[in-house]
Amino acid sequence: MGDFKLTTVEEFEAATARLLETGAKVGADAWQLRVKNQTPHCKFGEQGVCCRICSMGPCRITPKAPRGICGCDVHGIVGRNYLKFTAGGAATHSDHGREICHTLYHSSADGSYKVKDPEKLTRIAKEWGIETEGKDIYDLAHEVAYEALMEYGKPFGYSRWTARAPKHTQELWEKAEVLPRAIDREVSCSLHMSHMGCSSEPEALIRQSLRAGLCDGWGGSMCGTEFSDVLFGTPKPIDTEANLGVMVAENVNIVVHGHDPSLSEMICEYADDPEMIAYAKSMGAKGITVSGVCCTSNEVAMRRGIPMAGNFLQQENVVLTGACEAIVVDVQCIFPALGPLSKCFHTKFITTSKIAQMPDSEFIHFTVEDAADKAKAIVKMAIENFKNRKPELVHIPDMKQKATVGYSLEAIKKVLDGVTNSQVDELGTLKPLVECITSGVIRGAVAMVGCNNPKIRPDTAHIELMKKLIANDIIVVASGCSAQAAAKAGLMDKAAKDLCGAGLKRVCELADIPPVLHMGSCVDISRMMNLVADLAKDSGLNISQLPVVGCAPEWMSEKAVSIGNYVVATGIDTFLGVDPYVSGSTEVTNLLTDGIREWVEAAYTVEKDIEKLVDLMIERIEEKRKAIGI
Amino acid sequence: MTLFDVVFSGNDAVYGLTEKAIDDAIAANGADKAVAFPDTAYSLPCYYAVTGTKVTNLGELKEALGVVKTLMTREQRLHDAFMSGVATALCAEFIEALKYLDNPAPYAAPEAGHLPDAAIRELGVPLVTGDIPGVAVILGAAPTAEEGVELVKSYQGQGILVTLVGGIIDQCVEKGLKMGANVRVIPLGKDVTSVVHVVSVAVRAALIFGNIQPGDAAGLMKYTFERVPAFVNAFAPLNEVIVACGAGAIALGFPVITNEETFRVPKSLIVQKDVSKFNATSLEARDIKLKITKIDIPVAFASAFEGEIIRRGDMQVEFDGSRVDCFELVRTKEATEVEDHKIELIGPDIDEMPEGSKQSIAYIVDVAGKSMQSDFEAVFERKFHSYLNCVEGMMHTGQRDMIRIRVSKDTYQAGFRLKHIGEVLYARVKSEFAAVVDKCQVTIITDPAQCTELRHNLAIPMFDKRDERLTTLTDEGVDVYYSCIMCQAFSPSHVCVVTPERLGLCGAVSWLDAKATNELDPQGPCQVITKERVIDERIGEYEDVNEAVKKFSQGALEDVSLYSLIEKPMTSCGCFECICGIEPLSNGVCIANREYAGMTPIGMTFSELASMTGGGVQTPGFMGHGKHFIASKKFMKAEGGVARIVWMPKDLKEQVADRLNATAKELYGIDNFCDMIGDETIAEDPETLLEFLTEKGHPALGMEPMM
Repeated sequence: MGDFKLTTVEEFEAATARLLETGAKVGADAWQLRVKNQTPHCKFGEQGVCCRICSMGPCRITPKAPRGICGCDVHGIVGRNYLKFTAGGAATHSDHGREICHTLYHSSADGSYKVKDPEKLTRIAKEWGIETEGKDIYDLAHEVAYEALMEYGKPFGYSRWTARAPKHTQELWEKAEVLPRAIDREVSCSLHMSHMGCSSEPEALIRQSLRAGLCDGWGGSMCGTEFSDVLFGTPKPIDTEANLGVMVAENVNIVVHGHDPSLSEMICEYADDPEMIAYAKSMGAKGITVSGVCCTSNEVAMRRGIPMAGNFLQQENVVLTGACEAIVVDVQCIFPALGPLSKCFHTKFITTSKIAQMPDSEFIHFTVEDAADKAKAIVKMAIENFKNRKPELVHIPDMKQKATVGYSLEAIKKVLDGVTNSQVDELGTLKPLVECITSGVIRGAVAMVGCNNPKIRPDTAHIELMKKLIANDIIVVASGCSAQAAAKAGLMDKAAKDLCGAGLKRVCELADIPPVLHMGSCVDISRMMNLVADLAKDSGLNISQLPVVGCAPEWMSEKAVSIGNYVVATGIDTFLGVDPYVSGSTEVTNLLTDGIREWVEAAYTVEKDIEKLVDLMIERIEEKRKAIGI
Repeated sequence: MTLFDVVFSGNDAVYGLTEKAIDDAIAANGADKAVAFPDTAYSLPCYYAVTGTKVTNLGELKEALGVVKTLMTREQRLHDAFMSGVATALCAEFIEALKYLDNPAPYAAPEAGHLPDAAIRELGVPLVTGDIPGVAVILGAAPTAEEGVELVKSYQGQGILVTLVGGIIDQCVEKGLKMGANVRVIPLGKDVTSVVHVVSVAVRAALIFGNIQPGDAAGLMKYTFERVPAFVNAFAPLNEVIVACGAGAIALGFPVITNEETFRVPKSLIVQKDVSKFNATSLEARDIKLKITKIDIPVAFASAFEGEIIRRGDMQVEFDGSRVDCFELVRTKEATEVEDHKIELIGPDIDEMPEGSKQSIAYIVDVAGKSMQSDFEAVFERKFHSYLNCVEGMMHTGQRDMIRIRVSKDTYQAGFRLKHIGEVLYARVKSEFAAVVDKCQVTIITDPAQCTELRHNLAIPMFDKRDERLTTLTDEGVDVYYSCIMCQAFSPSHVCVVTPERLGLCGAVSWLDAKATNELDPQGPCQVITKERVIDERIGEYEDVNEAVKKFSQGALEDVSLYSLIEKPMTSCGCFECICGIEPLSNGVCIANREYAGMTPIGMTFSELASMTGGGVQTPGFMGHGKHFIASKKFMKAEGGVARIVWMPKDLKEQVADRLNATAKELYGIDNFCDMIGDETIAEDPETLLEFLTEKGHPALGMEPMM
């Protein structure tokens, strides 16, 4: 076992406590303090029974007042709120995807953005029936990007990406009337349906929630993932490190945070530039360290091995180290708190997107055309800020773990090729994984996704669930902040195989993988959809028959609900550790936890007790095995 | 029934039999009756190795069975299946041990049963050193006796130790196969339990050679998994007892290959319906790579022939890349695209070519391997020169699409044909690069039209791509350099520091080559040199580079610069393609290449320059280097770079002109720089040269004095 040891949540917390002491010294606010101020939370809000979609209200439903002024009952109100929540998430992921399509549309051989994976571009073009022969790769890129952008607003037809799903799944969607149309249409339609005086029937609202989710996972998110790969390269296994200890006290520290890789890729590019490194040296630093927070971090870790400073609830800690010259953000999950917090230190808080503009930040608008210049300017600004550090405030917790990341679907297939036997097997399939599952060596797989949420002791659920799953020979694929929790703990170190049951351990050894596979950012949950689709095809089973479940134990954002909806709608039972504001309606709750199973062969389970949550997942996996006789 | 249920039920069945056998034996002989295998110091070796306990009598055997029972847990997990497999093997050992009660020789020839420690010591050494590349355990009867014997012989021919259990023994007897330890075919016994005698060999090997402590079950399993190259071939039909034994084998790391349709587990339980492919499937499953010791050609193959010259009069046929289209190429392919040891000739063979004629040839070596990287292609290719020269009566010069090969009349008359080129390349690539090459096939093309087509559409684009990869690499862009000490056999204090922009002075080892050499052989001649602690960026001096140079030169050399000719220049062995030296009058340097026999303006010929530059000694002002380095931006960068070049032989100048002009344009904005450089047709003395340089306005004249 060597000297491998997981980092515990207690150790994370001790490090945070030490940083909060610095915060206290400079009068900084922190989410830990704000949570106290916001507790207890509004019960009506928590149950989803408060309606403020028209100005007759706000109305809130109680036993004494069972209907709103318009006459809508609690089920309609909870259902509408749920649909709006979903639409918010679907819009967010999909708009991120749209930005990537735009970037691809503006890519050129001599521009800032190039096509790094022409093979994948050609593959997608062929999939979409676009002629590739004899075409310049950039002409093709622009043509494909245009077609992808049309996915957002085409007047007729369904999302192209859904053709990737197994036939059975497509038929289910069609029958349930949830097959997604144009991406923007599903978002608009959701907002329309949930307007005052439109739908109040829970079944209709939940059906549209699934459909809006599907336009994200099998639409906008898939655009985001696939075309990010085309632009920046399809991830393959690469070694990196995770947790705050990746920041280097002697170096200029630039932290990228957010979700869209277009910005972070450019920052990484220029931070690596000899001219910039020399400039940093001239300013008294030893070099430049770029590290990441949230999904932008996942993106650059997967493609460049850029270390991960932390996940969602660690974003303030990065500034609290006192060693962060600049925190550069794009979109989503960025605390507005970073503005005032950065003012307590020398840190530059740089916003770059018109989508995410915040007070107390320096706004450097980042566009496709001037990406290189802006990135350079930002790196320079960080370097010049190095001298403004207050040495007495600098403390970087000496805490990090090794991680091997970059398991795109393509990379997973490549890894599996490594355990095939050329005398009997074909290459480029998931069949070796299917064989591990059907023989029982691996019991199943869990897709661990989602955020952090102060309602759950941060990272505990992610880490404890994963530990128990791998000990039970269940392989974990992770994305987003869940993946970073795993990496921080050490679960993405190949040495973590020693924490597995004999079956998964043997698989990790033979395939040379860690037991928890990093599949990317939250947008990259679309990779997991392609993974289960191919698993179903390679095993001859329906997705819902596979011993595979999804889990978001610490989720918090609208995006997470959208994700949950498309994961469930794809046929994967999904387990949540936080209630999605629906407990106020028995009808909506019943639909989500049971009723939708009739439409899509899967449903939600909500369980706030983490220990029970993991047992329920293992149980479900074993039930599914039994049902197909393996 | 799940796979694990089959294992559990097989385990239960064997346990039941064992319990009954022990109880019967105690009833007949009493609990104090001694139990032992003959000629072993390890008691019941499997049980002893797993638990650390020695069993001496029937009473203890009964107790041991109780311990075995505790391994037989029944969760649906691989751990439980593995432990049940181990329990099955232990039960088998107990049953086999009972056969030796009051009977020192329960097995009759050819069956061996228990193997003594002495046999293991004898087999163990070649096994651990890899001289026996693997151990096959064949269980059950093959579909036909022919197929069974064929399989046994195929392993035997590879030096693999074959052990036989069950029906296969009768099949071998039927076909009159000679068996015994001396021919590496050992029939163990007819009962499936006799398979434990080969497990016992693996286990005792771990105790004897691996220093595994008895009782360290995890250590034992790790040892057998990583170090004992055994595998099982189990013929259909498989019963649950065989499956349970199989689980034990897989737990120890031994894959099971069977022709019965059953569950599949990658690299562990493989269904291969075609018995004729058992051999190849098994070797791949256990990652067994065979050493190729004999090359199947009609003439000798030895380094003694490497320098052999074939004169025109002795030549049967010549392939000449300078006149017709020829090339040699290594391509990386997927494993499924390569048929191992396939050698194909497209076009006429030597016997269809007129004597003394000039012909086209192209040979493409396709390789596949899980650790293969396309960066290695060029490294393999460069070795072809040496491989083909080692063939008696064959001469090879050049590389890529500029090769020339001659085959002598004697060699032709001895029966040498073009497929033998394939045999040589196959055998050498497979044995020298076994670490990365799993499969290799060779295609030889002599059809002139195809040679032309492939040269332009396949080979040249690949060469260009490799060159392009090299040009995008810069010294600043990489984290490490490599040492190269391939020449230390004759120049013991010389060390080359190979960087992306400065290849080895022999011209043959680029940074990528050095990297590949390091990856193929981490203890070999090319070692990683870090470059983290810079001393002087101008001349390219680093603390870590100096430390490495000192270490690899055994202290002969203290410090070197990478980019200076004057200050601590890099040493030279004697293999240099070129030498450059200071020409004081013009304030520049002259470069002479090995092929140039005439005089240089320095007043010395190449060989005179070589005598003062080689031997691993630093000679400020003189330096050996590769041709490719001339156009590098790092070429004597400390002294101002390529602008210092005032003279080169005409041939060399033409070879490097395009790249050198581009470098000069980039560094100084000078167009057609090569036109300013003198050569032997312009001047062989410094005064005439100076006149020419002055007339051309050569930049060196205006630069700071070098000394």
